[in-house]
Amino acid sequence: MQSLPLHVLNGIQLGCLLFILAVGLTVVFGLMDTLNLSHGAFYTIGAYMGYLTAHATGSFLLALVVGFVVPFVLGFITQRYLLYPLTLRGRSTHLDLALLTFGILFAVAGTVEMLFGSSFYSLAVPSYLSGTVDLFGVAYPVYRLFVIAFGSVLAFGLVWGLERTVLGSVIRGAVEHREMVAALGIDVRLLFAIVFGAGAGLAGIGGVIAAPILSVYSHMGMTVVVSTLVVVVVGGLGNVRGSLVGALIVGLADTLAQAYYSEAELFVSYALLFLVMVFRPQGLFGVTGRAI
Amino acid sequence: MKAAVAPHLSATRPADNSRRYRNLLLGLLAGALLFPFFWTQYALTIGTEVLVAALFAIGLNILIGTTGLVSLGSSMFVGLGGYGVGVTAALMGLPLTVGVPLTLLVVAAVAGVSGFLCIRAKGVGFLLVTLALSQMAYGIATKTKSTGGSDGMTGIPRPDFGWLGLSIDDPRVFYAYALFVTLAVMLLVWRITTSPFGSVLVGIRENERRMAALGYNVDAYKIGAFTVSSVIAAISGIIQAQYTYFVNPESMSWQASGEGVLMVIIGGAGHLLGPLAGSGIYVLVKQALSGITEEYLLVFGIFFVLVVTFLRGGVLGVLSKTWEARK
Repeated sequence: MQSLPLHVLNGIQLGCLLFILAVGLTVVFGLMDTLNLSHGAFYTIGAYMGYLTAHATGSFLLALVVGFVVPFVLGFITQRYLLYPLTLRGRSTHLDLALLTFGILFAVAGTVEMLFGSSFYSLAVPSYLSGTVDLFGVAYPVYRLFVIAFGSVLAFGLVWGLERTVLGSVIRGAVEHREMVAALGIDVRLLFAIVFGAGAGLAGIGGVIAAPILSVYSHMGMTVVVSTLVVVVVGGLGNVRGSLVGALIVGLADTLAQAYYSEAELFVSYALLFLVMVFRPQGLFGVTGRAI
Repeated sequence: MKAAVAPHLSATRPADNSRRYRNLLLGLLAGALLFPFFWTQYALTIGTEVLVAALFAIGLNILIGTTGLVSLGSSMFVGLGGYGVGVTAALMGLPLTVGVPLTLLVVAAVAGVSGFLCIRAKGVGFLLVTLALSQMAYGIATKTKSTGGSDGMTGIPRPDFGWLGLSIDDPRVFYAYALFVTLAVMLLVWRITTSPFGSVLVGIRENERRMAALGYNVDAYKIGAFTVSSVIAAISGIIQAQYTYFVNPESMSWQASGEGVLMVIIGGAGHLLGPLAGSGIYVLVKQALSGITEEYLLVFGIFFVLVVTFLRGGVLGVLSKTWEARK
């Protein structure tokens, strides 16, 4: 089992990537009760934007910025001008919105296919993040360590931001009691759009970060969105800390299954989703017992 | 959970509009029966595709329209139907007269167990859990070598109508076969939805707690709806596999499930003829657009967004509103 450390590191790295994606999804669900299946679309958009930027300017850092900003703006618009007005019409909203965002996911994949074709693109690892380091007896790519570091910093930053800042407390407040927060004079509509946009932006960054490891292709968002859903469900919908643990579980389970028992590769994370959904719908770490 | 359809569109609704419905139904039936004699081969292909899609949507409508449970994993049972015929006929060498009932029995058993597990989740949770389940089935189908893995299986046999002096390889005969099965299923579904069992399902859709308070075993009814819906999906899968002589894991993809949901919503969830209208419109639009653009996904996605945003009651929802307004 000499390669075990390698697989574990890869699992953690995948977990960090999934966390970057899942955090937006889980906060949006907690806040707005919207199961945003289009999250994968923003991941795809981010990846393509990052690819284009990196090719035009050669700067990976700029690619990260553009990969955040474009999905942020699109997410903001989607929430503010499409999803929110539908919520106001008082339909059986959470199902409608899940189906609507499901459509967006496919429409974006189709648009990307139309513009870029169905070929695979790859983004080169920037020179300052290339090479390997010796870690636990394996030569491990620096870039993957960067992904782990990025995910960890983001996780701590977000947990700190949500638990220790005014904006964070407003968001958490709105998760618990939307009306009360609105009564305090906060523009909930704007808050929702910003949070949705930020989630989309993070998904976009996730796309850029994933680009050098997994390739960039039109269906990338559709593949990843289900894994992200698993993370969100395992961690408990709306639970940021939970989704970090969930992301690590899913990342490790996926990677180890792929390495040691490839027959189960496609199976493991769905089985996890199924079991948690059936037996612990509040998530493994759900404390509030939020009913969905 | 809230119902997926507007409360005034109930499944057992035709009472006021029954004459109009009957006329519409008779008109459609006449059209469908005369179809093979006037139309080209190409039109027959489309017609058969519509029927196969309609069968799936009819099954799904029991879950979405009548009971108010939105599943995003029903294509799993379409795939199971196809694989069932494939395995019993191509691998085990059983005749269709044994293979098809056996397949449907197995599907009913699988659906019963998975229904029992899935209905523990409510609302969006149900959507997620059915999605997870179908993805598991998809994963198994992709990895099972004896059924061809991700390539799928070929050599699915069609029924033999030699004793009627007809060849099933004639597209007209296959169309008639698909039409016969579709009509039989529609009749069955009509009986089910207008039965006391169907009324309980509508009750669950409208107000689950009240039905439970009235003493109905809500869970058992939901499992029943799930099973009936799944068996019908499997029938659709069988005919689809026979039509293409082929079955592969893609028939279980969540995109396929999404298509089913889309067809139900386009047609009008909860209406008996809704799935037929929905699948007709969907298949025709898809065909028409495939001549103009290759971007199937884009069309599918935009179609989905537009229908959910503007046409939530579906075509028949709009139609019955117009009828009511004219009264």
